Amino acid sequence: MRIFPDIDKQLLIDMIKEEFRLHRSLVGGLGSAFFPFIIFLMTATCAFITPLIARNLNQSTMLLMLHVASLIYGFYIGGFGSMGEQIMTRRLGQVNMLLKLPQIYPISVKKVMAIFFIKDSLFYLVYTYVPMILGISIVAPYVGVTAFGILRLGVTAFLAFMIGMGLSFVSSAASTRSRIFGALAYIFIIATALLVYPLNILQPQYVLLPLAYWADRSLIWPILSVILSIGLAATGSLLMKESYEIKQTKFNNSLLKINARLKVIGELRPLVAKEWLELTRSGNMLPAVGGYTLNLLAIVFISWLFDYGFGIPINFNVVFFSAFVGFMGVMTYSSLTSIENNEYLNVMPLGVDSLIKAKLVIYFILTSGVTAGYVILIGLLKGEVYLIPQSLLVAACTSIYVVAVTAYLTGLWTNTLFFGAKTIIKFTLMVIPPLTFIEVGTILLPFKTGLATWMIASASMFGLVASSLLFTRLKKRWSDASFSLVSSGE
Amino acid sequence: MSSIEATHLSKRFGNLTVLNNISLNVSKGEFFGLFGSNGAGKTTLLRILTGQLSADSGEVRTAGYSISDPISIKRSVGIVPEAESPPTFLTAREALELSCLLRNLNNVNERVDRWLDFFDLQEKSDVLCRDLSKGQRQKLMLTSAFIHEPSLLFLDEAFINLDPIYQRRLRGYLKSLVEEGRTIFMCTHILEIAEKLCSRVAVIDKGSIVAQGSIDELRSQEGEDLEEIFIRTVKNENAHLP
Repeated sequence: MRIFPDIDKQLLIDMIKEEFRLHRSLVGGLGSAFFPFIIFLMTATCAFITPLIARNLNQSTMLLMLHVASLIYGFYIGGFGSMGEQIMTRRLGQVNMLLKLPQIYPISVKKVMAIFFIKDSLFYLVYTYVPMILGISIVAPYVGVTAFGILRLGVTAFLAFMIGMGLSFVSSAASTRSRIFGALAYIFIIATALLVYPLNILQPQYVLLPLAYWADRSLIWPILSVILSIGLAATGSLLMKESYEIKQTKFNNSLLKINARLKVIGELRPLVAKEWLELTRSGNMLPAVGGYTLNLLAIVFISWLFDYGFGIPINFNVVFFSAFVGFMGVMTYSSLTSIENNEYLNVMPLGVDSLIKAKLVIYFILTSGVTAGYVILIGLLKGEVYLIPQSLLVAACTSIYVVAVTAYLTGLWTNTLFFGAKTIIKFTLMVIPPLTFIEVGTILLPFKTGLATWMIASASMFGLVASSLLFTRLKKRWSDASFSLVSSGE
Repeated sequence: MSSIEATHLSKRFGNLTVLNNISLNVSKGEFFGLFGSNGAGKTTLLRILTGQLSADSGEVRTAGYSISDPISIKRSVGIVPEAESPPTFLTAREALELSCLLRNLNNVNERVDRWLDFFDLQEKSDVLCRDLSKGQRQKLMLTSAFIHEPSLLFLDEAFINLDPIYQRRLRGYLKSLVEEGRTIFMCTHILEIAEKLCSRVAVIDKGSIVAQGSIDELRSQEGEDLEEIFIRTVKNENAHLP
């Protein structure tokens, strides 16, 4: 029996072509090649400073961090179940992909989803893990790592990615069957993670099998990891439904009521009301707020990394944490731009800039309370109550500035344009210097209070003035763009 | 007086010339039909005329506005796009309410009720648009274009997905609009409908207008119907079975 008939091979090849062409059409050829190049540079840099980190972090902790990062990366990518459902139920508007083939051709959804999983595995292998291995390889002679060691690291990290992708696939496919199944799958994953940390009941290598290889160098672990990945992919595919009944979901008509309550927002209020309804009805409210909160907790992790990873015990103050807040909002803004295909707005008397502004209003409604709570909590925990007002101002300025830059550069297509070379270079040049200026100021605060206060205040002011300019220029940059999912001309 | 004036309009997508030196004029009160083969450039032309897409060269004035002012054009005209894609997470009623709010219209509830009644959509008014059938979604797109009672309408395959009852109802409504002196620009492949409705037509082929005038003017012989005119003008009469 042929396991992989010709028709499946052809479909796999076509899906790979589709993925590369989709990337190219959105960010251009150069932009498409830029992402692996960034991965290459980042991993080369990380590998180069590994000896410094190794003085303070043991090898097993570093391996754990790499494999957990890969697992989370895979989990983030692998929500194919809900993606497949969206394609089948026309929620992506005019976006048609090969995933839609089962609607009109004699091929099952299960098979198409399995091939899609293989396609994405290959795509991310080439797009992320090969550049990662090359990045480490280029500095290998300086850090004393063998080629075989790098290859093994690449393989186990990729297997962790595959397991993450498989877990996400199974959970999202279960969700398409029943929200309860989906919730149970997610609860199982979270419970397992909690048993590992902070409860320390399970050893991480027995949950994250590729990691176990580094404990005893036994090939059984990579083999089991491959089997687990295939098993998860197969389970996810088998869980997919072959037909999608379009249930008629009813809601109370609330647009006019919400619109009436938003008088203070002015002419944007119908769009803000629409955005609010889409956010709540699509089930994206909790992921957006939860994701933002997790991102803020990542700042605490960065400070931990400095203290214990790099062995640079800097007592970061609350102003430092508040300056990073804006940076973490990029993903939250991005998630707001991917809820709805706004194709129908092309025939309405408004420009893309109006919708971007409405999304910014929603962004600030969602994040302001969390940001303030976070800054106040860190201030209280660190015993720096006197710094809280200043920190709140810094958090507000950086938050407004970073999201203004993001909205200006990427409009309604943050998720895709951020893979573009021009965009990522412009973003880096616009955001990193002022944020670095503030962060250096926060580090100097206990020693040179006057200079540090001046640095923080001037960079924050710059952020506010620049944000105001960017908001003004949103109209010029985006008013002629189309709402459809097409290249913005970037 | 012209509702639409386009002169020497051209558009390229990369190396592909989609529209080549198009000139057309649609007078106020006309029912104008645009026909062409698949990929001939109909939708691109409609998108340029309505300010959804910019032209590479040429001049366009729609409803008295230049296409450099697309928002004014979209405020004055009604557009039914090719794709029936109303807002996913709004109900049918909310989708129409949003149209009214974005156009700053008064009497929102009255207008919405009137159009939900016209297309028999009242019982679907609280259903999410994503869960409606193709035909119901198309009715919403039509309603959204009609709700502000514009003097100029652009319809791109507006009859697609409608059953014969609503096709007839829509035909009647469009006829009444033209009788009131409003202008309609329609792209369609359904030549039987066009023949019943259009006072003037143009045929577009490979990005160029190859024929333009009233159906009588375009007839080369007595009794020639619109389908025969179309096939003759695009020179594709040698169709054969697969």
